[in-house]
Amino acid sequence: MTARNFKHALFCAVITMVVAYPILGLNLVARGTRVGLEGADTSTLVAIFVAAMVVFSFQLYRDTIMAALGKIPKLPPLAGREPMPQAKRVKMESWVLTGIIVLALFWPFFVSRGSVDLATLVLIYIMLALGLNVVVGLAGLLDLGYVAFYAVGAYTFALLSQYMGISFWMALPLGALFAALFGLVLGFPVLRLRGDYLAIVTLGFGEIIRILLNNWTAVTGGPNGIGGIPEPTLFGMEFGRRVKEEGNTSFHETFGIAYSGEHKVIFLYLIALVLAVITALVIRRLMRMPVGRAWEALREDEIAARSLGLSRTAVKLSAFTIGAFFAGFAGTVFASKQGFISPESFVFLESAIILAIVVLGGMGSQLGVVLAAIAVTILPELAREFSDYRMLVFGAAMVLMMVWRPQGLMPMRRTHIELKRQE
Amino acid sequence: MKTSVRKLAAAVGASVALIAAGHAGAEIRIGIAGPMTGPVAQYGDMQFSGARMAIERINAAGGVMGEQLVGVEVDDVCDPKQAVTVANRLVNQGVQYVVGHLCSSSTQPASDIYEDEGILMITPASTSPQITQRGYELLFRTIGLDSMQGPVAGNFIVNQSPNRVAVIHDKQQYGEGIATAVRDTLRGAGVEVAMFEGITAGDKDFSSLVTKIKQANVDFVYYGGYHPELGLILRQARQADVSSRFMGPEGVGNKDINTIAGEAAEGLLVTLPPSFDEKEENQDLVAAFAAKGEDTSGPFVLTSYAAVQLIADGIEQAGSKDPFEVAKALRAGTFETPIGNVQFDQAGDMESFEFVVYEWHSDGSKTPVN
Amino acid sequence: MQDLLYFSQQLINGLTIGSTYALIAIGYTMVYGIIGMINFAHGEIYMIGAYTALIAITGLATLGIAWLPLVLIVALICAMIVSSSMGWAVERVAYRPVRGRHRLIPLISAIGMSIFLQNYVHLAQGSRNVGFPALIDGSFRFGSSEGFQLSLSYMQITIFITTLVCMTALSLFISRSRIGRACRAVSQDLGMANLLGIDTNRIISATFVIGAALAAVAGLLLGMYYGSVDPLFGFIAGLKAFTAAVLGGIGSIPGAMLGGLILGVAESMTSGYLSGEYKDVVAFGLLILILLFKPTGLLGKPEVEKI
Repeated sequence: MTARNFKHALFCAVITMVVAYPILGLNLVARGTRVGLEGADTSTLVAIFVAAMVVFSFQLYRDTIMAALGKIPKLPPLAGREPMPQAKRVKMESWVLTGIIVLALFWPFFVSRGSVDLATLVLIYIMLALGLNVVVGLAGLLDLGYVAFYAVGAYTFALLSQYMGISFWMALPLGALFAALFGLVLGFPVLRLRGDYLAIVTLGFGEIIRILLNNWTAVTGGPNGIGGIPEPTLFGMEFGRRVKEEGNTSFHETFGIAYSGEHKVIFLYLIALVLAVITALVIRRLMRMPVGRAWEALREDEIAARSLGLSRTAVKLSAFTIGAFFAGFAGTVFASKQGFISPESFVFLESAIILAIVVLGGMGSQLGVVLAAIAVTILPELAREFSDYRMLVFGAAMVLMMVWRPQGLMPMRRTHIELKRQE
Repeated sequence: MKTSVRKLAAAVGASVALIAAGHAGAEIRIGIAGPMTGPVAQYGDMQFSGARMAIERINAAGGVMGEQLVGVEVDDVCDPKQAVTVANRLVNQGVQYVVGHLCSSSTQPASDIYEDEGILMITPASTSPQITQRGYELLFRTIGLDSMQGPVAGNFIVNQSPNRVAVIHDKQQYGEGIATAVRDTLRGAGVEVAMFEGITAGDKDFSSLVTKIKQANVDFVYYGGYHPELGLILRQARQADVSSRFMGPEGVGNKDINTIAGEAAEGLLVTLPPSFDEKEENQDLVAAFAAKGEDTSGPFVLTSYAAVQLIADGIEQAGSKDPFEVAKALRAGTFETPIGNVQFDQAGDMESFEFVVYEWHSDGSKTPVN
Repeated sequence: MQDLLYFSQQLINGLTIGSTYALIAIGYTMVYGIIGMINFAHGEIYMIGAYTALIAITGLATLGIAWLPLVLIVALICAMIVSSSMGWAVERVAYRPVRGRHRLIPLISAIGMSIFLQNYVHLAQGSRNVGFPALIDGSFRFGSSEGFQLSLSYMQITIFITTLVCMTALSLFISRSRIGRACRAVSQDLGMANLLGIDTNRIISATFVIGAALAAVAGLLLGMYYGSVDPLFGFIAGLKAFTAAVLGGIGSIPGAMLGGLILGVAESMTSGYLSGEYKDVVAFGLLILILLFKPTGLLGKPEVEKI
């Protein structure tokens, strides 16, 4: 332990106090017509002090701690075991996946309405994250305005149903195609920009779209949004208590069962499930096709990829458009689930959440993204009292992931051929 | 910190209540939905405090048909998306009556769900006319409409015989709705509306807008929206020496406007429901609030109290806990509440609801005008 | 005549906002100039500066101290200390460990930090708008025409002067002082500067601290000028300031000043002659156009892509 270490540790502890005390320890409260100050309770003060002490001792014994951490034997991946043969692994994976899907199909019939509703939201996030995964994870283009395409999909459905009476099933492909078109048009000029400039420009586009939706009151209803968006029908059968559209029948009357709000929720869940599975399968296929390999090649080394004759614009644009397509898909489902949309739902924070899911799951990895979507949506629901801290934890998790494990929880693994080690 | 502690307490309270409900089985659960957090949480506080008090007092008096009322509180942050989520959660918990929501933009999507699920809803604060125009059977409100409040404000302005008036709004359902009603009243009376413009809620820089108001040379500015923005507009207008008189709806009538606008809040005109807490017959109730350290001067405290009471009275009257029966009973009868005698029309609005113009002062007090 | 006065008034409004954008933009431009990353959390540091200043002012008022110069100086110093510490800590925790990795990694880390800080203040101080006392009140008036009077408030003058002083001080610091010279060396070539014995880590920390301190100044000024603070207002201001930095040419300090002023004026003219609803569209549209057609900005140096 050197004097320098001590000084540094002291400095860090002081900084911790300075950063924490004014904001946490002194609360601004409205007292009648004036703003007053209120000291926080003792537990907060103690917590601040403890935090400073922790920082102090960590910095003081930093070298020792780091050395100790370094000594912990790293679990060698698959050490001592023969790696599972690839064919077997692929086979097992597909069995597991099939099992999960079958489980997901029957699960909603045994749980409460709220859980199914939440699961639908999870599936929407999975679709979004899978789509963004193509753009960020595979093609390496940081898109901070992804929510714009989600909004385009949702608004396409809402507007078409409001002005032209188009149903969910018609709007689903239209919404996705329209979002893809948007991606194509927006992507064309911006894709020649470098990484972080691209990020900012997409962010700007996302905000502009939201502001336009907000201000174009005559068409989009402005901040009031659009309500009365129809739910999907099953061969012309509606799930509401009363039939809204002429010519449709109602589900419960057709089958002669009592009306229950759960039918609708479960039906929506199943639709979302099917669409999410389709999204995953399509993207899985694309990843193995030449275009998928081109995305990754461009991400890894743009110059090398271009020297090999890949068209930078075409490759990037395809990723951008496909990502937008699936966002449009998810947007349509979202609009139908909510029955009401407004620009409030398409703020930057939403883009950041989707990005966080992709980052946490491991950029490029599909299973990882699915797990992360589930974790990010469900954990705050389970610990409802702590839902205030959700965004705080999000932010912290994004930083920590980047620092410790930028490849994500389940990094992507490509099927590859391993050379036999020389004996 | 304080709010989160309170939320925690509320959540624990709600879950304890739920467990208790599971045991007793003879309790009537009332969902209370409004903003506990977010920029307009003050109004949510009013709503929750009114509803809690009503539940407490009704229970103390023996409950409804021998059963106790239990409040299930949820936070919609005044965000339409959250409103849908919490509405589904209330459905999930088997709630059959809801007092809420607060913001019109939240009430609208949430009411779709309640109507579909057969849940009776009384909003003590949403004033947008559209809400009750959809012919819903289970939707009521204990507050007046923008289409009532707008003309009151508009006629008041007309009586001041101004030359030119500016009408500004925050583009939200509530603000724009009421601003449109004011504008139409003014135009109908032949007053020149020099400006009709929206701002972005959450914005902070209104210097350009204030300059515009100054150039338009108006003597009256009506603002449709909430206090965070109007407070800043008032203050920046004062900095820029704008001498016009300002007026706003009940959404700005809150002491927080004084912390933001300071001296500039003096002389602001506000249309508010009459101060029910100053009525003779409510003094007993006001004292009960005061004993808990709560303030009854907010516009939604007693409307929210009345909403809970109406649910209780409706159940008694109908002799049934079926929301459809209760709705019928509510439409049929006249009920005595702290906000006066309530009689509902077919749409679920009150037959009559008065608005009064108050002058706001920089110390947070208000005096009725004329 | 009245039109001219109206135009001048809007110009003054725009220049006022613009100069504070410039103060915030310095933080972006210096950090980008040195380590080539966008410090997304900078807007939050500005917001924290505004909160600290308000806490200090309220605290002094509670103690009964009301002598204006003292109040302002104490608030300014408190805000600068807290913001600078925050800037230092953020760099240490979120950026240093990921420095030199793939471009996207520091950016995502920065976005995470931004979300974290926003919610940190949100949880600690609540989400309500808190009023900021108007300490500097009153205005100069001149040139009246048809009832319209041009007014220049003392607050606006304070903002101009403070910005000017800060900018001059910063320019002198960068061009004359030892650390300033080291800063320039590091931004030219980090590796080489390191070889020549400059403690580059220290210099990078210094950049963050300077940027954060200027953001705190802007926080105090804008808090007083606008009249309220809330935990979300740093984000949009940060984006605007970043736009200003890009507009002027990222990495260039006079560029940040110029970009800020242009952006401020563009915004106030949009609100003044079109509608306030579209001012953000204009700001972001400007950003996109600049990036598409002149990515180096107005005063920036062209960047050579190294292989």
